[in-house]
Amino acid sequence: MPFPLPRPRFALGTVGWIGLTLLVILTGTAVFAPALSPYNPEETVADPFRPPTRAHLLGTNDIGQDILSELIYGARISLTIGFLAAAIAVGIGTTVGLLGGFLGGRVDTTLMRAVDLVLVIPFLPLMILLAAYLGPSFWNIIIVIGILVWARPARVIRSQVLSVKALDYVEAALALGSRPGRVMVRHVLPAVLPLALAQFILAASNAILIEASLSFLGLGDPTAKSWGTVLYYAQVRNAFLSGAWVWWVLPPGLLITAATLGFAFTGYSLEEVLNPKMRGQRGSS
Amino acid sequence: MWRFFAGKGAQYLLVVVLTVAMNFVLPRMMPGSPLVFLAGEDVGFLTPEQRAQLYALYGLDQPQWRQFATYVANLARGELGYSFQRGRPIAAIIGERLPWTLLLVGIALILATLIGAAMGALAAWRRGSTLDLGTLGVAMFFESVPSFWLGMILIAVFSAGLGWFPIFGAGTAGVSLTGWALVVDRARHLILPLTTLTLITIPGTFLIMRYSMLSVLGERYITTARAKGIAERFVLRRHAVRNALLPVATVFMLNLGFIVGGATVIETVFSYPGIGRLLYEAVLNRDYPVIQGTFFIITISVIVANVASDLLYPLIDPRVRRG
Repeated sequence: MPFPLPRPRFALGTVGWIGLTLLVILTGTAVFAPALSPYNPEETVADPFRPPTRAHLLGTNDIGQDILSELIYGARISLTIGFLAAAIAVGIGTTVGLLGGFLGGRVDTTLMRAVDLVLVIPFLPLMILLAAYLGPSFWNIIIVIGILVWARPARVIRSQVLSVKALDYVEAALALGSRPGRVMVRHVLPAVLPLALAQFILAASNAILIEASLSFLGLGDPTAKSWGTVLYYAQVRNAFLSGAWVWWVLPPGLLITAATLGFAFTGYSLEEVLNPKMRGQRGSS
Repeated sequence: MWRFFAGKGAQYLLVVVLTVAMNFVLPRMMPGSPLVFLAGEDVGFLTPEQRAQLYALYGLDQPQWRQFATYVANLARGELGYSFQRGRPIAAIIGERLPWTLLLVGIALILATLIGAAMGALAAWRRGSTLDLGTLGVAMFFESVPSFWLGMILIAVFSAGLGWFPIFGAGTAGVSLTGWALVVDRARHLILPLTTLTLITIPGTFLIMRYSMLSVLGERYITTARAKGIAERFVLRRHAVRNALLPVATVFMLNLGFIVGGATVIETVFSYPGIGRLLYEAVLNRDYPVIQGTFFIITISVIVANVASDLLYPLIDPRVRRG
């Protein structure tokens, strides 16, 4: 061929693969936690504040629980909260974006005003306020995060709905006499679902980081320890003032970072593949 | 333009109204006596007469609308209520703490914006180079790092380990310093929390600047400028960076709520006596009136900053003025 055509990009790219690999490893750890973890994370198995030994690779915490086991089980809590909060956020975001973008007019104006409103509110202090009133529990954290991070997904979905709405097949369906509600659900929604998936992954990245902050402030569920909760106890026991930070503070933080990065990389790459207009925005071209 | 301000103004007003309404409703909506949330958990030990007195003091015996009117009137006078746990008015407590947060957040914002914008412009100019990809990777990393954890690591290494900086607080307790010694002492306490907040704030600015710069560099007037034979660094400084900075100014303000939230956890780690640390202490002590007052003040500050940016924006972007 005289003119080599640009190869169509369906691949995730290096960044996307790194992200996906991180996610698979972490999710695998969460799923197989009982098999992987050397001890029961809730049991006192040794003296407290033990430095790493062969029996306890990351030492023990303030009440003699095995830190490595805590972190392996913590993957379950952190990832579950991330997934569920993101599901709520993207559920609300997709509904708002779909209704606003498809119906337009006053509905759209009102909904987008609500989006702007949510974006202005300092969300972490608001979450702290809500979580303090609702009390520290697994579900409260999920709900509080879910109902506050839907604004960005709503915006992205809306703009995609607007461009889908302008396509011929939507117009054709309307011209054929399909009810608008039906067109919205049967024709427009499926077209934006892949993008909603990308938004879901990005929201999960966000949610994991927020959950860590809330848990670190002591608002996490003490009976379901996430990585953030482990750091809360490390902070309360001043682990970062002694050598213990190397095995008690460093690993949970790296895990949170790995999970957040894993989701973010996967999400951005997916968004780029699905929405070529955004290509180059995050520079992973 | 006036329509634009009327719309935005109404929106900000709505945020304030919602914040006030939520602060009013939350303690009254929760199961159990609202007294627990207003005066603290110790009310359980009070005699019935004392409880009745407190009830009257908070106006809880009055109709709801009356309570709300009193509540709003008090807020308008700057009365945020009373913390029984600290035995002091909340406005006074917040007044003491706010300057520290403004100092921390203010300097961090300026530093992060300058560094982020410069790095973003440079990365976009050298698109695809090792420098670009390297800074991009570092930015993504710091965007994903939990801020409080970064703070803990910095304390472990530089304070506890090397002993270069103090471990907590905003000043050395128990010594009275004056003049230069005072400034040095405050600065030494500020450096680590400031570094943490700046590091986690840079990526946002960097990514926006890089993207904005990339799209500006693709514009025709840049090609024209180059075709005219203008030196590359002038094209960059006079033509590209100036225009690329506009979205950065927007994001700067949009991020304010986020940065204040970041400051909350960072102040907690460093025991820095700002408003974020106050929020944490209030959560620990279940001091609900203080949690509410702090949240109210944070929201108001963020809105004031947004209004300021809306008013300043036409000055930096003439297109908005004409539009």
